[in-house]
Amino acid sequence: MTNTELKQSRDLLHQQVEAILPEVETVIGWTQGYDPIHTTPTFVRDAKAISRLTWNSFCSQNLTGYLVKTPAIQPQDRAKKIAVCVKGCDSRSLVALIQEKFVSRDSLYILGFPCQGVIDWRRVMQKLPVGNIRAARVEDGQLAVEHDGGFQRLELQDVLARKCLRCAHPNPLIHDIVIGAQVPPRVLIDKAYGDVEELEQRSLAERLDFWRSELDRCMRCYACRNACPLCVCQERCIAETREPKWLTQYMSISEKVFFHFIHALHLAGRCTECGECERVCPMGIPVALMKEGLNKIVRELFGYEAGVDLEAVPPLLTFTPDEAGI
Amino acid sequence: MSIANSGSGTVSNQGIKIVGFLCNWCSYGGADTAGVCRFKQPADLRIIRIPCTGRMDPLFAAKALIYGADGVLVSGCHPRDCHYAVGNLYARRRLEVLQHFLPFMGIEPRRFRYTWVSASEGQLWQQVVTEFSDQVQKLGPNPGVGNLLTEEGHR
Repeated sequence: MTNTELKQSRDLLHQQVEAILPEVETVIGWTQGYDPIHTTPTFVRDAKAISRLTWNSFCSQNLTGYLVKTPAIQPQDRAKKIAVCVKGCDSRSLVALIQEKFVSRDSLYILGFPCQGVIDWRRVMQKLPVGNIRAARVEDGQLAVEHDGGFQRLELQDVLARKCLRCAHPNPLIHDIVIGAQVPPRVLIDKAYGDVEELEQRSLAERLDFWRSELDRCMRCYACRNACPLCVCQERCIAETREPKWLTQYMSISEKVFFHFIHALHLAGRCTECGECERVCPMGIPVALMKEGLNKIVRELFGYEAGVDLEAVPPLLTFTPDEAGI
Repeated sequence: MSIANSGSGTVSNQGIKIVGFLCNWCSYGGADTAGVCRFKQPADLRIIRIPCTGRMDPLFAAKALIYGADGVLVSGCHPRDCHYAVGNLYARRRLEVLQHFLPFMGIEPRRFRYTWVSASEGQLWQQVVTEFSDQVQKLGPNPGVGNLLTEEGHR
């Protein structure tokens, strides 16, 4: 995306929001964060605030969670809608939420953004442990960063979020308007499970060691669960209920592993691989990899991909009496 | 799930322990039939009666294995014979997914099995339990996923 294209997209976004604002109660979008490589969510309710909205390669957060997580953003006035900005991956979460009737399609106005991948600021900081980034932009397959110590270019491969390197759905699957030109998928869906396959090559004991060492860093802050747009139990989450009491507060590795089993198995056949869990993990655990493993299993067993078809029923919420092979 | 509370320490190392989740209407009756007919069965199985395999949360099995049970056996009515019509059809999908997910997480999949045994099939029950018990015996005790709080005084 060139800078002119980005600017055009932003102008179109502002015009579009201005046009729909009378019939929309809130617009959920991104705005510039505290430095050029961060953006933060913003909620636009009046015309004065429209210019806050932005769109660039740093808009990593999936905003669809705000539609279902308490305090969920729902229209007070039934005649009005909620507008939400989504990338390709985020649109899949929206499809899953509509499938499971957590939100209704009629109450939404969806602003879709074809996406060439978002920058994982943690990977940038690993490459460039400097303070005070003054400017950053994506150009010619590189991330150009201007900071106090000078100017540097980083290969996009090294700074894109892991989910983007295996992205098969860069274009919004559901939308009322698309802002920007369509983007070719980075990989085909058959090739999207490379990280899972790599782990599958290892022996059982090596896999256990891998997960033990990764999950040992988990401090059960539950950020992964809280960020997940499809983790909808909220105050009834069995990781925290006393009755039934599934988990204690002991910090043993078993409790950590079991918490991640709860999180992953509750998303089996539902996870749309938006990567929010991994993005928010303060300990850098590849949390999404567990769900990718499950999704690969679900794909092989039931030929199902979550969040692509509004009419489909998630495979674990249904059955076929004469299933062969299982 | 008393075996699984992390405060209760490790599973004893005398012999193996298999947790069996049995459907009230079929397999629990099948196990009973096997008993009434005096079929010889291994004594490693601790049976938990569930109302239907549809009640079987895959997390029950996952929790038992993570916290050191040596094996988990789930058994219910044959597909299409469910007392509640469709419970086992849901269960079949969930348990199949778990069966594939366990090895991805590094847990021995041969410690887990799900099967269908009706109330009249005492002989089949004997066969299923014996086979599964032999299989788990060969694998030996399950180390579980973690050092269960005994080391380093996690408590």
